[in-house]
Amino acid sequence: MKKVLLLLVVAMAVFTLASCKEDAKTLQMLWWSDGTEGDVMQTLLDDYLEETGVTIEMVPVAYNDYEARLATMISGGEAPALARVTEGHLNNFKANILSLDDVYTTSGFTNLFYNADGDVISLPMDITANGMYVNTTLLDKYEVNYPELGDPVWTWAQFETEMSKLEGKDDVAAPGVFDHQGHRNMTLFYQNGVKIWETPYTVSNLKSAAAQEVLTTIKGWYEDGFLAPDTYSLKNSANLFKTGLYGFHLSGNWNVSGYATGITTFDWAVVPMPYFTNRATILGGKSLAAFADTGLEKEAKAFIAWMAEGTQHDTYTGGVPYLTPRLGATVDYGDFADQYAVFLDEIAATNEMYVQDWLNEVMIPGMYPLINQLFEDNANPAGQLTSLQLLTALETDLKAVAPTS
Amino acid sequence: MKKMSYVNYLIATVLVLIFLIPVIYIISSSFKPIGELFSPSPTFFPQTFTLDNYTEALSRGNFGRYIFNSFLVAISSTIIAILINTMSGYALAKFRFKGDNIIMLVILSTIMLPLEVIMVPIFSVLRFFGLYNSLWALIIPPAATPTGIFLMRQYLLTIPDEIIQSARIDGASEWRIFRSIILPNAKPAIATLAIFSFMWRWNDYVWPLIAISSPKKYTLQLAIANFTGEFGADYSSILAMSAISMIPMLIVFIIFQRQFVQGTVESGMKG
Repeated sequence: MKKVLLLLVVAMAVFTLASCKEDAKTLQMLWWSDGTEGDVMQTLLDDYLEETGVTIEMVPVAYNDYEARLATMISGGEAPALARVTEGHLNNFKANILSLDDVYTTSGFTNLFYNADGDVISLPMDITANGMYVNTTLLDKYEVNYPELGDPVWTWAQFETEMSKLEGKDDVAAPGVFDHQGHRNMTLFYQNGVKIWETPYTVSNLKSAAAQEVLTTIKGWYEDGFLAPDTYSLKNSANLFKTGLYGFHLSGNWNVSGYATGITTFDWAVVPMPYFTNRATILGGKSLAAFADTGLEKEAKAFIAWMAEGTQHDTYTGGVPYLTPRLGATVDYGDFADQYAVFLDEIAATNEMYVQDWLNEVMIPGMYPLINQLFEDNANPAGQLTSLQLLTALETDLKAVAPTS
Repeated sequence: MKKMSYVNYLIATVLVLIFLIPVIYIISSSFKPIGELFSPSPTFFPQTFTLDNYTEALSRGNFGRYIFNSFLVAISSTIIAILINTMSGYALAKFRFKGDNIIMLVILSTIMLPLEVIMVPIFSVLRFFGLYNSLWALIIPPAATPTGIFLMRQYLLTIPDEIIQSARIDGASEWRIFRSIILPNAKPAIATLAIFSFMWRWNDYVWPLIAISSPKKYTLQLAIANFTGEFGADYSSILAMSAISMIPMLIVFIIFQRQFVQGTVESGMKG
């Protein structure tokens, strides 16, 4: 027994000490994936190693814990050399992120983020756009008419009339489902001509009649069962859509590759989103940032410069696939060309003032939980607050946390 | 008497079902395709049985490595925990010294501290000793637990002092007494502590999330969490890997089941 214990202790020490070895020049890149982003980036990291001899280790972290992990690493003096970041992360960690003004030609990119000194602090890796998925198998079965790219785009009233044909059918749980996130639902504000900030961040249009109309319409859809009541209890609309029991799903382009592999029991397509007064979508996107005080700043910037080159950048956006923030780039979306053509059309149809308005909106730290809560409260069948009351509360909360300069 | 016995069995059966049904549902759902998983009319057992969730989950990431890391951490930490907690419990149970009760109270009061409160100072200590991103960071800090010390102390109080005094009179050293009398007599409590310690380390998530940065050192729970992205979670893979992660705990409990029950009961007899 003593010998067994001793052997165990020795084995323990050998294995754990052996696993402690680290290459001093290995850079760490914090990352999360929703689909194939990690796999595509890993192939690029392998290429970089082959070309330069520099090892970059991808550190995958669950998205829900990403910010906490990054914050702890930074405050503990162990910041990663590189990290995939959202605009929220860029806002929250601005003081720790390196300026990239001297690293790549920023004029070749859109969706750039700046620090207080006006320096670019990230390399945009992808753009996302909100859009509409439909279950064509269900729609064709129940003779629901829907436009394709190039056809006259439907209004929300026409959309509701057509999709209502799915109500009451045995193989339909509800006509459709929206993503629960405020980022998707806010699209309807722009589609009804509501620019959130008339003057950032002092004068807003959130209490306008048009904004109230949007909230009231969405609330009615939940009350009537037009939108899936499970949206806010499950908070996983993509998985609901994959069951094949819903006719439509308001989401974004990041689901294209997941649906292509994950949906095998019905046909689906991306169709133009409906509108109230004008077409619009909301853009998003992720970036790559380099962190200060790692001792590897030079190597991190060198990698970002390499990633900013057309070949590598287009390999990433085309491989995932994601919409490219690289101006003038022609990305081959391969099997997803048809779907991405619709998303590109949505972007082209969006007035620049809404794009800029949303960029102003994302600069507000802690904005996302506030807009998420707005739509969750609005969808709550027991909710007693009116649209005006909900929007007034949102405006107050946003102004309280908005930047003052 | 017979009637009471049937009632007891009925109550026990209901309680077992309440605890077991969610576990069985997880295992059963891990064999369902995604369409069935989110069906508005869920079924307990799969209507279409599939192993795709397992093959998909295992093909993403180095799960063999993650399981090995989890075993290494859980077993190593359990061995150290048994040694340290048993020694501490023995000292607090059988030795009288100034401040012994206060020390016991201080140890117990640390149970009230959530990990989030002490995370940053422990992280700083680990960095100071160069243990950040090392599996030792997952093994050493959690080895001495107030719950483990309390469990061992309570159990060791039941060992008659006369046995220890006799051994001292016979010339046995304190280490000899600990090795030859205390440890053999504390087997049920040690088994209980082993099960708890293994379970805590196996299921640990927050601490490995903070202390480990290299994917090569990820434990199974960290790897499972990576199936959750920004836009949604891959529940099929999460269910499959969760079902796999239950197996070692089940095996450990089956092996130590008798001692676990005995240890839990006897630890509570005298206080």
